[in-house]
Amino acid sequence: MVFIRRYGTLIGFVAILVFFSVMLPGTFPTARNWLNITQQTSMLMVVAAGMTVVMVMGDFDLSVGSAASLAGIVAALMMVAGQPIWAAVSVSLLVGLLGGAFNGAMVSLVGILPFIATLATMTMFSGLAFVVSGGKTISGRAIPEDFGNFARAGIPLGEWGGVAISLPNLSIIAIVVILAVWVLLEQTTFGRRLYAIGGNMEAAHLSGIAVKRLRLIAFSLTGLAAAAGGLMYASRVASANPVQGSGLMLNAIAAVFLGTTMSRHGEPRILATVVGVIVLGVLDNGLTQMSVDSYIRQVLVGALILVAVGAGSIGQKRR
Amino acid sequence: MSLNKSTLALAGILLATTALGTGAAFAQAKVAIVTPYMAQPGTQFYVEAFQAVADENDWDVNVIDTAGDVAAVISRMEDLVVQNVDAIVINVDPTQVTAGLQAAKDAGIPVFGMDAGADPLLVTNVTSNGYAMAAETSTYVADRIKGEGNVVMFVFEAFPPVQVRGVVADAVFGNYPDIKVLDRVTPDVADGGIADSRAKMEAILAANPEPGSIKAVWAAWDQPALGALQAIEDAGRSGEGIVITGIDANPQAREAIAAGGNFEASVAQDFSGIGATTADAVARVLAGEEILQSVTYVPTKLITKANATE
Repeated sequence: MVFIRRYGTLIGFVAILVFFSVMLPGTFPTARNWLNITQQTSMLMVVAAGMTVVMVMGDFDLSVGSAASLAGIVAALMMVAGQPIWAAVSVSLLVGLLGGAFNGAMVSLVGILPFIATLATMTMFSGLAFVVSGGKTISGRAIPEDFGNFARAGIPLGEWGGVAISLPNLSIIAIVVILAVWVLLEQTTFGRRLYAIGGNMEAAHLSGIAVKRLRLIAFSLTGLAAAAGGLMYASRVASANPVQGSGLMLNAIAAVFLGTTMSRHGEPRILATVVGVIVLGVLDNGLTQMSVDSYIRQVLVGALILVAVGAGSIGQKRR
Repeated sequence: MSLNKSTLALAGILLATTALGTGAAFAQAKVAIVTPYMAQPGTQFYVEAFQAVADENDWDVNVIDTAGDVAAVISRMEDLVVQNVDAIVINVDPTQVTAGLQAAKDAGIPVFGMDAGADPLLVTNVTSNGYAMAAETSTYVADRIKGEGNVVMFVFEAFPPVQVRGVVADAVFGNYPDIKVLDRVTPDVADGGIADSRAKMEAILAANPEPGSIKAVWAAWDQPALGALQAIEDAGRSGEGIVITGIDANPQAREAIAAGGNFEASVAQDFSGIGATTADAVARVLAGEEILQSVTYVPTKLITKANATE
């Protein structure tokens, strides 16, 4: 029973892969398509990885989308002002880190519920992005070519069926971030303490874990990852506008939830989040290739989340 | 048990997908439209008109709305390239989706702009002609004031599509020795352009109190025209016959024009025409023709009291 509940989503994932491979034999199961998928999901991957860190503690961060937009805008404005790319990137990552720390302070020091605190900062970050950009999209020649070229480049992997393929830079960043979060959550005391907080905050506190400090740090990391995702987005579209990251938040939470259906006690695990993100990315990719209407696609994605999470909780009740 | 249920449900979803996916006949040309802006009214007109032509040609059209997500436009273009469609149509600033355009170019798939902006990676961009729109309204003004008198211009140099309109109006007014451009105003557009244009116009009216000292207001888009209209009405000078024109024919402008006041004319873009012309361009390229113009212009329409409510 436990086996079924735990691996139901994974079996479903494999079923989706088999389905698309059968329906689209010439295009879906190809190296090129999979490299595309890793690139297409890279921004969500990074933001969802950061989201996993706070969700391990049973917390939420609704502000990641706005933080991503703000980071993109800050970087773009600095580049327009003639600052070098490295400076623009560093400052906007710092903005994300500080924004996350602010979330953490509201949640852990002031004691506001994460849902409410980050709902408020979501609006604040979004408003700030509009204020500093004047509501405009910053694009075209104002953005240095190297910044946009970064997202288009990658490490060449040779040829596949006569087409040159390469591992995209954005995918590499996503892999590095996933590895970092994996080490942090699964291999360090810091990670084990976060899981302890998620299990029982009171007990964690009584056993001597510095709950406030750890929550502050965790939210800061989520903010940092959100900014990184926003920068990757800005590089991919070689532009920045004050709302472009907004879609990332719900998808990141959805991916983490999909992932939780695969863990023993329904807790978020980074590798399960990765599967969650890939499920969302594969559905977009495969259904586009099958010419399924984009609105139907949204309905299907929502239905799939309900099926996966629903099956998981039914299994849990039976147990 | 839960496995059976979830796999059953999943199988249901996947089966539904198979039914929904257009099991296209192989001979059909596959054409995809990708836009983040489907929710905007203009876009819907483009797409409907495009599809009407597509139906005549028996194309398999896939309309993809990324709901504001520009990065997703690139992702979906990559998917379409992998799927090897015959043509892609985009309705988004091409400089933001260069990665997708490059992927299509590398695969030899033609990409068309539907009011997207000119780009070397596009076969052609189908849009309205800003020069022609400005010519419509500036000649309307010159004719109405019989080629003489003072004209106030509202322009905006920082935004290229609006800047070209000012250039044409300058040329038309400059060609009449008795027309004098009293002022060439660039309003602050931070709040949409109406309020500041109104303030600027109030100052100009105050500086030119004599009836007949201002014959017309030519605005490069509708908002300044609406602001000037408010200023003229509030100053109690709507009886002087000052002619106002705008461009774009937005709903508020149409209303003002239909009301029969000083705001007399604007120019409407033909959104359906842009959609149909884009489809024609696709058809020509699929038939093997080479399109030389990087921009394809679709005629626009002068809106006056006679047709403002159409």
